[in-house]
Amino acid sequence: MPSTDAAIESSHAREPLVRVRDLHTRLGGKVIFDGLSLDVPRGSVTAIMGPSGTGKTTLLRHLTGQMRADSGSVSVDGEDVARLSRNALFALREKIGFLFQNSALLTDFTVFENVAFPLRQHTKLPEVLIRNIVLTKLQAVGLRGAAQLMPSELSGGMARRVALARAIVFDPMLILYDEPFVGLDPIALNQVLRLIRTLNKTLGITSILVAHELAAIRQVAGRVYLIANGKLVAQGTPEELAAEATPWTRQFFGGEADGPVPFHYPASDYALDLGFAK
Amino acid sequence: MNAIVRRNWLLQGIAQVGECGLFFLAILAALPKSLRHFREICRQVWFVGAMSLVIVMTCGLFVGMVLALQLYYTLSIFGGTAALGTVVALSLFRELGPVVTALLFAGRAGTAVTAEIGLMRATDQIDAMEMMAVDPIAYVVAPRYLAGIVAMPLLMCLFNALGILGAHAVGVSWLGVDNGTFWGNMTSTVDLWKDIIDGVWKSLAFGGVVTLIAVFQGYNAPPTSEGVAYSTTRTVVFSSIVILALDFVMTAFLT
Repeated sequence: MPSTDAAIESSHAREPLVRVRDLHTRLGGKVIFDGLSLDVPRGSVTAIMGPSGTGKTTLLRHLTGQMRADSGSVSVDGEDVARLSRNALFALREKIGFLFQNSALLTDFTVFENVAFPLRQHTKLPEVLIRNIVLTKLQAVGLRGAAQLMPSELSGGMARRVALARAIVFDPMLILYDEPFVGLDPIALNQVLRLIRTLNKTLGITSILVAHELAAIRQVAGRVYLIANGKLVAQGTPEELAAEATPWTRQFFGGEADGPVPFHYPASDYALDLGFAK
Repeated sequence: MNAIVRRNWLLQGIAQVGECGLFFLAILAALPKSLRHFREICRQVWFVGAMSLVIVMTCGLFVGMVLALQLYYTLSIFGGTAALGTVVALSLFRELGPVVTALLFAGRAGTAVTAEIGLMRATDQIDAMEMMAVDPIAYVVAPRYLAGIVAMPLLMCLFNALGILGAHAVGVSWLGVDNGTFWGNMTSTVDLWKDIIDGVWKSLAFGGVVTLIAVFQGYNAPPTSEGVAYSTTRTVVFSSIVILALDFVMTAFLT
């Protein structure tokens, strides 16, 4: 019955890949999430933005099951991440690529071995095939020539691109990028943007980006979620958000120091602190 | 409960021992999986074993030499210098070999393992493995643990061999003990099972304990430079105490 199959498939495709509901998290007494809910549709490129310290990285860690929330649910590909056994969690993680903020390359291995690492751990592919896959991915990030270098010989931007090659080596269904654009020069930035788009268009890989670079996000992201004070404060396409005139978006996209998000960490009176006032 | 534990250093110590025990169980559970990483185990044996050769062999030589000098003096009081070979060999096999090798191993290899794992944690490499669905206990911790257990008895044997050569050099070539007496008395008195294998048991136990402390401290090191530094120090301090205490207990049971 092909029609039923198609119907099942389309309902499966319509269901969001990532679904976060009423998430509450506290870290060291500080409230990080206070009832956060959001959906990431399959095959989309979604950016998550917000002031520093709002828990964007923490959100990614909730998605991968590295951290558990106090309450609320996080489901990825229809599975409630917090309820998975360790084996099931590992099976899910094989389908997720994660780009770490500081690259997190294995320092004992060469660039080539770093990218080959997930393949060697989870498959029994012949060495020739592994070599071809790894070189293809390195070529995509422009570092095929650096395959035999050690991570200590790479610049920050190069290390990030190697980490990106490693994150996509399995052609995962979902890639989580934690600050992917930091430290990239304009040339590398454009190539990485193009790569994210290509992965999304040709392979249908869903991407979630945590980033601050508005110009870059405008080029790739179809949807932006703005998080502040533990809640979702705005959402929409980058253009919509930039045009929207709520205090949140005005402050965030206009880069103003005053607004709903205080620029200053809570402190006592400035003049009092300097000893100028009594 | 946790607040009470944090305030009391005694409870804190007990809690640490408990955590270490649970960590040990986690390593045991991961051992079958880690055997798949055979190359990694070999690399670690090379790293903790072969890289400790120079210090262990040099120290073995000097310990043997000083042992011969001291024991020759003591034995000459009773006119028993002919027993020099026996006494040196027994001291080395039964006591000094396992203990001194373990102390050296804790300082040379244990600290390196702690610092390495601690830095892997601090630079997110452990998290990255978790994210790539690779169990860091099976891939990082267990191979190092196995390597420590394999390397320690081998290092001890070399320590003993060099110690006896050092004692021979001092006793026979310098102090004039007869060569035949030195070897003859030694080989007729030292028992393979009671003396040599007992030392190997001790060495295996020390290898297990020192490496467990090293990997535990590294894996739980706070991800800062200060945290890694403290953990490295703790590896040496805890290892030394545990080696000497365990040595007493094992000697009491084995003899």
